Amino acid sequence: MSRQLAFHVNAAVCTGCKACQVACKDKNNLEVGRLFRRVYDVDGGGWVERNGFMEPNVFAYSLSISCMHCQSPLCLEVCPTGATFKRADGIVMVNKDVCIGCRYCEWACPYGARQFNEATGQSSKCDFCADLLDKGEQPACVATCPQRALEIGELSELQAKYGATSQVYPLPEADLTQPSIVITPHPAMLLANANTARVAKPGEV
Amino acid sequence: MNVREWALVAFTILAQMSVGAFVVLGLVHAWAMQRYSPDKADQLSDRALLAIGPTLALGLLASLFHLGNPLFAYRAVFNLASSWLSREIALGSTFALLGALFAFLQWRKIGSFELRNVVALLAATVGLVLVYAMARVYMLPTQPAWNTWATPVSFFVTTFLLGTLAIGAAFVATYWWEWRGGRLQGSALAEMLRPVLRTLALAGIVLLGLEFVVAPLSVALMATGGAAASVGILTSQYGVMFALRLALVFLGAGVFGLWLYRTALRPGAETLLGRLAWTAFALVFVSEVLGRFLFYATHVKIGL
Amino acid sequence: MNQKHILKRPLDHTVSRRSFLKWNAVIGGTAVLAGMGLKMGRLVTLAAPSAPPTATEGQWVTAACWHNCGGRCLLKAYVVDGVVQRLKTDDTHPDSPDFPQQRACQRGRANRMQVLGPDRLKYPMKRAHWTPGGGDKSLRGRDTWLRISWDEALNLVAGEIKRIKESYGNGAILGEVNAGMERTLALYGGYATSWGSTSWGTWPDVGPAMAGPYGDSYSNTGNDRLRLRQSKLIIVWGANPAWTSGGNPAYNYLQAKKAGAKFIFIDPFYNESAQVLADEWIPIRPATDIALLLGMAYVMITEDSKTNPLIDWDFLNRCTVGFDKDHMPAGADPKANFRDYVLGTYDGKPKDPRWASEICGVLPEKIHELAIEYATTHPTTIINGGTTTRVHRAEDTAQAFMTLACMAGNIGLPGAGVGLSVHNRGGNAGPSLVTSGGTGVQALKNNIDIRLNQNELWDAVLSGHYTAGKGDSRKVDIRMVYYDARSTLNQKPGATKGIRAHREKLEFVVAQAYALTTQAKFADIILPVTTPWEKEGGFLTGNREILIFYSKVTEPLFEARDDLWIAKEIGKRLGVDVAQIDPISDKQKIFNQLMGAKVMKPDGSGMETLVTITDSDIKEWGVQGKPQPGRISVADFKARGVYQVERKPGDRLGFTEFEKFRQDPAAAPRETPSKKIEIHCKTLADKITAYGWTVKSPLPVYQRIEEGYEDTFYDWDNKVKGDYPLQMYTIHYRRRAHSNFDNVSWLREAFHQPVIMNPTDAEARGIQDGEVVKVSSRHGTVLRPVYLTNRMMPGVVTLGEGAWIELDEATGYDTAGNTNILNGGIPTGQGHAGWNSCNVEVEKYYGTQLADHKWPQRIL
Ligand SMILES: Nc1nc2c(c(=O)[nH]1)N[C@H]1C(S)=C(S)[C@@H](COP(=O)(O)OP(=O)(O)OC[C@H]3O[C@@H](n4cnc5c(=O)[nH]c(N)nc54)[C@H](O)[C@@H]3O)O[C@H]1N2
Ligand SMILES: Nc1nc2c(c(=O)[nH]1)N[C@H]1C(S)=C(S)[C@@H](COP(=O)(O)OP(=O)(O)OC[C@H]3O[C@@H](n4cnc5c(=O)[nH]c(N)nc54)[C@H](O)[C@@H]3O)O[C@H]1N2
Ligand code: SF4
Ligand code: SF4
Ligand code: SF4
Ligand code: SF4
Ligand code: SF4
Ligand SMILES: [Mo]
Repeated sequence: MSRQLAFHVNAAVCTGCKACQVACKDKNNLEVGRLFRRVYDVDGGGWVERNGFMEPNVFAYSLSISCMHCQSPLCLEVCPTGATFKRADGIVMVNKDVCIGCRYCEWACPYGARQFNEATGQSSKCDFCADLLDKGEQPACVATCPQRALEIGELSELQAKYGATSQVYPLPEADLTQPSIVITPHPAMLLANANTARVAKPGEV
Repeated sequence: MNVREWALVAFTILAQMSVGAFVVLGLVHAWAMQRYSPDKADQLSDRALLAIGPTLALGLLASLFHLGNPLFAYRAVFNLASSWLSREIALGSTFALLGALFAFLQWRKIGSFELRNVVALLAATVGLVLVYAMARVYMLPTQPAWNTWATPVSFFVTTFLLGTLAIGAAFVATYWWEWRGGRLQGSALAEMLRPVLRTLALAGIVLLGLEFVVAPLSVALMATGGAAASVGILTSQYGVMFALRLALVFLGAGVFGLWLYRTALRPGAETLLGRLAWTAFALVFVSEVLGRFLFYATHVKIGL
Repeated sequence: MNQKHILKRPLDHTVSRRSFLKWNAVIGGTAVLAGMGLKMGRLVTLAAPSAPPTATEGQWVTAACWHNCGGRCLLKAYVVDGVVQRLKTDDTHPDSPDFPQQRACQRGRANRMQVLGPDRLKYPMKRAHWTPGGGDKSLRGRDTWLRISWDEALNLVAGEIKRIKESYGNGAILGEVNAGMERTLALYGGYATSWGSTSWGTWPDVGPAMAGPYGDSYSNTGNDRLRLRQSKLIIVWGANPAWTSGGNPAYNYLQAKKAGAKFIFIDPFYNESAQVLADEWIPIRPATDIALLLGMAYVMITEDSKTNPLIDWDFLNRCTVGFDKDHMPAGADPKANFRDYVLGTYDGKPKDPRWASEICGVLPEKIHELAIEYATTHPTTIINGGTTTRVHRAEDTAQAFMTLACMAGNIGLPGAGVGLSVHNRGGNAGPSLVTSGGTGVQALKNNIDIRLNQNELWDAVLSGHYTAGKGDSRKVDIRMVYYDARSTLNQKPGATKGIRAHREKLEFVVAQAYALTTQAKFADIILPVTTPWEKEGGFLTGNREILIFYSKVTEPLFEARDDLWIAKEIGKRLGVDVAQIDPISDKQKIFNQLMGAKVMKPDGSGMETLVTITDSDIKEWGVQGKPQPGRISVADFKARGVYQVERKPGDRLGFTEFEKFRQDPAAAPRETPSKKIEIHCKTLADKITAYGWTVKSPLPVYQRIEEGYEDTFYDWDNKVKGDYPLQMYTIHYRRRAHSNFDNVSWLREAFHQPVIMNPTDAEARGIQDGEVVKVSSRHGTVLRPVYLTNRMMPGVVTLGEGAWIELDEATGYDTAGNTNILNGGIPTGQGHAGWNSCNVEVEKYYGTQLADHKWPQRIL
């Protein structure tokens, strides 16, 4: 069986602090506007009246995502130069020596993982901190999460441990690209009124 | 929209127009050959043929502006195995090469007539496949507004509509040129132009009809195909532009086309004919540019 | 001194590639990172080579994360050839819930952009229209700057201090100082100071008056994190550890949840801690918690019975005075007992749930339910932020929290507790298990006793009067302010008046700063200082289990100088005894702290020496000292950067506040007149009344407060709303640690500082989500984007404190949304800041505003 590295994201414990996002920016020297890891705050629900008082029925959760290192990466399929490639361990990478910055991968990726680097005119994205992995270290985002909500591992092993949820709001249909992610859902994702969920403060992501 | 997407508008429109023009020119040429003679046919089409090359070149040049690293554009053909963009670039270049080759052969009258015909046929085929490939580039599962059969159909409509009217305009230009130079007397051109123009005008009207079927249908497809957001953008933010585009193409291909059709055989009226053909082309061109702009401006990606 | 000049410098240098790299990384590189555009793009590719430097090239250095944020986390900087490439956090040992790594938060992770950002102050600066005596004062905060030499800057500052002392006396100098200048100014005859309770609201006076000294500043109460796992119920009452207790606290609470604790949040906002912890959220109007507490007490009192005990009579009898007429302290009127106050026996007003709910907005049935649950669930811990008492006259609130915990007996039991559990001790109370020694430097006495309450500070500057106690109004004539490590103008209430004081009255303002902070912006002379990354090293603590030993990461940037160097240079020019300002070398100070570092013995019986010191250490450091055996060598400690005491459930290092007292009040008496916890507390009443602003009852009673809920009404009885119909409170925002980090673009990008509001309130005002709104109070106006969410209760809005004031000079609005523009300085009680009692109106704003991360940075 081929190898496929993956992220486990425990949405039930994520506070949306964005330490992962900022750690990633530091690791990758990302200027404002370029986010390899982004954290979506979601809220929903409403208030109901009871005896003249308003009672809440609201929820909130956060979801931290980066490139999903998909099993069927559409970005790779469409990349005209072959700059996008998959390593033996399943990491989807961009070869800086080849990418011509056509941004076609951006159109293809359903996770907004592709972040155009204006300075080099090339596509960039989360590379799973492959350089750190190769040294036996954890990715910067994982190592910093104060809630220990992020973990990496072999996809099949993570699935055996945490189940196979790979699609929760606001993520797109998993069968588009088969993302290598395992999500421990936040309880609110299973609530009856979960369909009122929306991305809060959209400008922040 | 930014510079990069304008580059794509320019590239797709110009490339499609060149393919369309090439094919239409071929058809006209074939017709003229049968009706008249190879020589006369050449007289009619040689100048127009020369205009196609620069158009395509301009389109390809524009496409470079869409790249972060234009210098290395050649790498775009590395992934023919799975990337429609690679195929598009490869087909585009092949079309350009074959077209140029044909133009060269034709111009210098090198090679046999049959050989030239084969090259032309090859170029036309590659061109048509190119238009298909261009459409496939956009037919991504993550782009519901694009991922419908309306994309190739509308690309082909654009191809032929612009091709037809461009050729019409080119003929009129050629005609003028000769007329001004006083070389028209006894030229086959005068003889051929009017029926050709009439046919082209008719073709334009038919294509317009197709466009008017495709445009609303594609919107309906968007709505059902999970691109409701795109429909929203189209009808709210860009509603006026969408209406303008339809009005322009109707005016260009429809009203002016009809007028052209009716004027084409009327003796005299050279000036009017010229103006009609040119206006029809200009109106449709602007309409198609707007349409293509809307194509890019209203796409909404699935996901984040 | 425009930015072009500074940025040009690295380009102009024709130096070796190495130092070229260095300069670019420092200025060019970070400039691009901060979004300065393509122009510098080539520089950043040079500065941050695509191939990562090999491990042998660089070195990991423990970097200080020194902010007043509530966390103490390990940050390490990867330094290659003097240039910081990136940061990492704690990887000194494997991570586990019992022995967790000290992981840095989002701010810590962005520290490189703060220290090495393009907006670091680079040279001493002088305000263009300032001349000794004040010049054009009205231009403060909007003037242009001139670069001056250090010598000129120091001469000017010393000259002004001297002139002002000689003309008006030392009392005319307001010293907002604690980074070194407090020593110079003390030696020069003293300076006026400001005071007030900020963080802990009213707990600092209430706690010790009621129960005698405990905790440290009352920020250290309840249980340690492992004992917290014994709690059956944890009520997070006006706290948000996920935001305000950086580092591990939120994670520690998760362990308590895993162990089975139920979590109830009582808060106007369904906050991010609730998002991961709450089983239930009870929304409450801000500044009205006292009403809920009294309503709960009413339920417990009226429904308590032998068969259905809701009151821990055993605890009340043994450990408290003042609850009912039979347990009054000596000399007190028996009628003035808490029980009869709640029942309304004498005032005819029962404080029942119906009464309470009209004020606090919690459904009466819910008050009832909560009271029963709290009274019958043991052990229950109440986790308080400072918020419920950062409210005008909120002595009563803190007192009521203690009283209710005594009634329920949820105090002094492992897993039970009440009070402040926030900041660096959030959810992990108890004495420090590892401490550093002293530096050996003694404090100097300030001979001026002018102490201005922070609520009155700017009023006092403008009016010349201040309150020194009950019936004691005094004259004061402040002519200059010296800011070193305090952000008073930005961080204390009444900033609108503060700006006026700067633009109308003050003759001289000087600030030592790393960036153009508010106090620097409104100063006449700015002295650029080094950050702790550029200092010799030091220690950070707070979390009881760790001691961080940080080292120098980079050489001082540009012309930045150490605070103490400045203090000495000014001292020299003032002619004071400079030797007293900084009597011990930096190295020796650090070494003293190492030598004196102590760690708890595993059996919890006492502290022992932490650091092993050898003769060669002493020689290597070039300091004085004696060898000693300890647990860790100097070199090891420095390399690891942290010493963390390893904890295990059931170890001997656990802690529960009041545990010994509860077990045997006679053997462990409280330091109060009755030796018990005083629910009726004359000490408190007298103390608060003596401050001179409000009169305090010995009991926790309900009072109508300044800018509370009632004040949002023009006519309370008929419920007609007034001009400021919404309640506003201010939170400690994730983007910042107070004013620190507000300039960091990575954090601005992540957090947009919105006003948070309920959609129904917005709808009534025609406001859409994400729009810019105008928030006005009786004291000032700010502009901010709005985040509409049902997570906020109707009638209430909140905004994060700490934004750097950015005045639109045409309108006078603060476009950054500094909350102290909205908070007026209203002194009550113990002179604490009543930040969470404020009334505002929010309106649609018809202009636009760029998101903060798109604002130009303040680059001089
Ligand atoms: N990120 C960050 N963390 C910090 C700081 C910082 O500036 N930034 N500052 C640190 C310092 S010095 C301090 S003192 C602490 C302060 O820490 P806290 O006192 O805990 O801080 P706040 O964020 O003001 O509020 C916490 C919660 O109380 C709620 N609240 C506000 N008013 C009321 C009220 O009247 N009643 C009730 N029931 N709830 C209310 C708010 O909605 C919020 O969810 O934070 C420390 N941590
Ligand atoms: N409206 C409102 N206002 C509030 C609060 C609120 O809830 N609402 N909360 C309040 C609370 S709890 C607190 S604790 C206060 C905090 O109030 P302050 O302590 O005044 O706040 P800081 O922003 O931490 O200011 C410290 C300043 O010193 C600088 N500094 C730090 N270290 C050094 C150094 O070594 N040398 C020099 N020269 N400068 C240094 C920092 O850069 C920063 O400018 O804010 C309070 N302000
Ligand atoms: S660091 Fe962890 S808790 Fe914070 S946002 Fe990222 S995943 Fe969530
Ligand atoms: S998330 Fe997007 S960029 Fe990443 S592998 Fe999948 S399709 Fe490609
Ligand atoms: S931008 Fe680069 S990686 Fe993306 S599709 Fe184009 S060549 Fe491939
Ligand atoms: S693995 Fe590395 S590159 Fe990817 S999101 Fe995490 S820190 Fe960023
Ligand atoms: S919580 Fe405080 S000390 Fe810890 S990393 Fe964040 S800012 Fe630094
Ligand atoms: Mo504080």
